[in-house]
Amino acid sequence: MEEEYEILENTVKDFNAKYIENNALKIENEGITESLLKSLSEQGFLSMAYQVGAGKNLDMKAYSIILENLAKVSPSVAVKVLITNAFLSVVNEEEVLSEVSQGSKSGTVVFSELLGGYNSKERLKIENGRLEGKKEFVLGSNSDYIVTIVDSGELVLVKSGFKSVASHKKLGFRGLEFSTVSFDTKDFSMIGKEGIDILRKTYDEMSIPISAVALGISEGSLAKAIEYGKVRMAFNHYLKDFQPIAFNLTTNMAELSILKQYFRDITSSNPAGRESLYLKIRAIEIAKEVSKNSLQTHGGYGYLEDFGVEKFYRDSMALSILFYNEEKEMEKLAEMIFESRAGFV
Amino acid sequence: MDFEITEDMKDAISKARAFANKYFNEELAAKSDSMEKFPMELVELSRKENLLDYSNPWKVLVTIEELCRRDPGLGISVTIPAFGSEVLMLFGSDKLKEKYLNQVVAGKAIMGLGVTEPGGGSDVANIKTEARREGDHYVLNGGKMFISNGQIADFFIVLARTSPPPSPDKKHRGMSVFVVESKSKGFTANKLHGKLGVRATNTAELIFDNVEVPAENLVGEEGKGFYYIMTFFNISRIYVAAQGLGIAQGALDRLMDFASKSNNINDAGELKEGIQFAIAEVATRIEAARNLTYKAASFLFNFNPNPVVTSMAKYYAAETAVYAAKTAMEITGVTGLSTELERFYRDSKILEIWEGTSEVEKLIISRMMMKNQGGN
Ligand SMILES: Cc1cc2nc3c(=O)[nH]c(=O)nc-3n(C[C@H](O)[C@H](O)[C@H](O)COP(=O)(O)OP(=O)(O)OC[C@H]3O[C@@H](n4cnc5c(N)ncnc54)[C@H](O)[C@@H]3O)c2cc1C
Repeated sequence: MEEEYEILENTVKDFNAKYIENNALKIENEGITESLLKSLSEQGFLSMAYQVGAGKNLDMKAYSIILENLAKVSPSVAVKVLITNAFLSVVNEEEVLSEVSQGSKSGTVVFSELLGGYNSKERLKIENGRLEGKKEFVLGSNSDYIVTIVDSGELVLVKSGFKSVASHKKLGFRGLEFSTVSFDTKDFSMIGKEGIDILRKTYDEMSIPISAVALGISEGSLAKAIEYGKVRMAFNHYLKDFQPIAFNLTTNMAELSILKQYFRDITSSNPAGRESLYLKIRAIEIAKEVSKNSLQTHGGYGYLEDFGVEKFYRDSMALSILFYNEEKEMEKLAEMIFESRAGFV
Repeated sequence: MDFEITEDMKDAISKARAFANKYFNEELAAKSDSMEKFPMELVELSRKENLLDYSNPWKVLVTIEELCRRDPGLGISVTIPAFGSEVLMLFGSDKLKEKYLNQVVAGKAIMGLGVTEPGGGSDVANIKTEARREGDHYVLNGGKMFISNGQIADFFIVLARTSPPPSPDKKHRGMSVFVVESKSKGFTANKLHGKLGVRATNTAELIFDNVEVPAENLVGEEGKGFYYIMTFFNISRIYVAAQGLGIAQGALDRLMDFASKSNNINDAGELKEGIQFAIAEVATRIEAARNLTYKAASFLFNFNPNPVVTSMAKYYAAETAVYAAKTAMEITGVTGLSTELERFYRDSKILEIWEGTSEVEKLIISRMMMKNQGGN
């Protein structure tokens, strides 16, 4: 890795040690605090996509390193950074951008329409200049700003006049609010008329950052299992001595290392959509597999939140649902591979 | 060979279904889960309605299956108050049966089983809790970990060491089983918070600090405790397999319900093959797991237990539950995430851990098969 990225990685690790490691459980149970948000912003983690507006390209490699390393300790924090940057990449109002990137305000984007299994009866309409209705599955629903699509297709930035009305069950990313939001406001502005296209483009551009979170989950949970294997004993042996455990975790490490190499390679270049999707599909699957193995290796302790392993098991599935539409993304990839529409019957 | 289930079993299934229809609701399930609160009121209702007929193990098995199909947390909670009772049934003196077992069967007491310790659960022979004989009683010192019903049970079946192992390779000798009342002096139960799933169940760490247990509370013979507990696991694993069948079936029900309502229809108006295959794969595994479980149960309930098939059933049904819940979650997406299916996903994982992890089951299967004991 080039020196500047190594420095960045160490910066994130230091940040983890200072602000997250000892608070990871608290973040899960009580949420991400304003002061943590401020610290994230002071490091520039919340404004990776903001700099793009100033004529720079998003440094995908740097951004991915940040997400990957945050997710190793707290996938909730990594996802907060992810949705904040997604917000910054679609919004174009300078004042809002500046507040959110500085961490004094927060923003989120609602991707519900793009997700698998989405079938909401809620409506969100603009009538006589007033935005009225509800939106389900808003991750980061307690944000100050929300970007969402409305029924007539426009993408809007809502600045006030909304509130969370019903919390959804939180399988993962418990550090973030996840609710249905009710809107009744005139305080919104238009981002674009073809809302779904903008949303889709933003979502597609997130393939690598999402993969970075998945990789972080795998690395974080695998590291815990390996450490545990060195100290826990059963039948007069360390767990690492047993072939099934050692070989399983070793296989996970091999797969993960290969994937990480691919990840590093494509973040250094300008990846095509196909490569990003290859990465995403595997990274998410591996995160689910590794986090399950890690939990199992910890036995009963893996089932308790204190050991910080079960959250990876939940978060990997939550990531796979909230940031990955397997059917649609597979169809897209299949179409590229077969060079015509495929995988739709 | 007859694969038809009996009328008794059909009746038990209908009764369990009616009970779940009447008393299981999302509000109670969600509250028990989020607040980690044992649904005692459901247990009372199940007693009142004689839901569990302990005189017929087949009925108990299908009742567990049916209740877990509706809700794993509530289903397990309703059926867990007698956890460990088979130890007393098989090895307890008449006096112990009368004093303790009858209370549980009559629905007047809750019991638990303490085997696992902080230092290990798989390696049962390595437990450290000690029971020292002093006159007409034993004195227990040590601790148990992850004990279900830990804070709510009136008494526990506890495995403790009563004499040192005769040699390092015979560690399973010198262990005994006791009935320990939770009101005993020196007994403490600390609730464990923050479980991934089965949060409706009560789990605690138990501490024995010079707990005096009357000598008559020794179950069976001194030194045979390991054997008693292994015999118990060969029974209880069948009920864990039933939990797995229920959870898997419940996940499949929800997946099929989603499929019938979703817009996953192809141009020819049929359900897309991706979902069709997922349903077929989950359903096939459930069928295989059910046949294994019923076969293991058939051996056991005919007093001819087959530990190999029992371990196969427990391991495979647990894996099937996890697989079914995962598949259903992946396909139902945000819909599943916002329903009780999310709990099925978290709850199912416990089955690969408790009462013998999947790894331990595999070791039992292969070791016994290599010794030509059990299996086919
Ligand atoms: C919610 C809950 C409720 C429970 N209820 C009870 C209860 O009521 N009573 C009770 O006594 N216990 C109970 N348990 C404990 C449970 O039975 C143990 O957690 C389980 O047996 C595993 O023991 P352990 O956690 O110490 O894991 P360990 O024994 O430390 O095992 C850790 C990992 O190593 C693996 N492993 C161990 N040995 C080998 C080997 N030789 N080869 C390959 N892999 C191996 C295990 O499979 C596991 O994956 C409960 C646990 C939980 C989480």
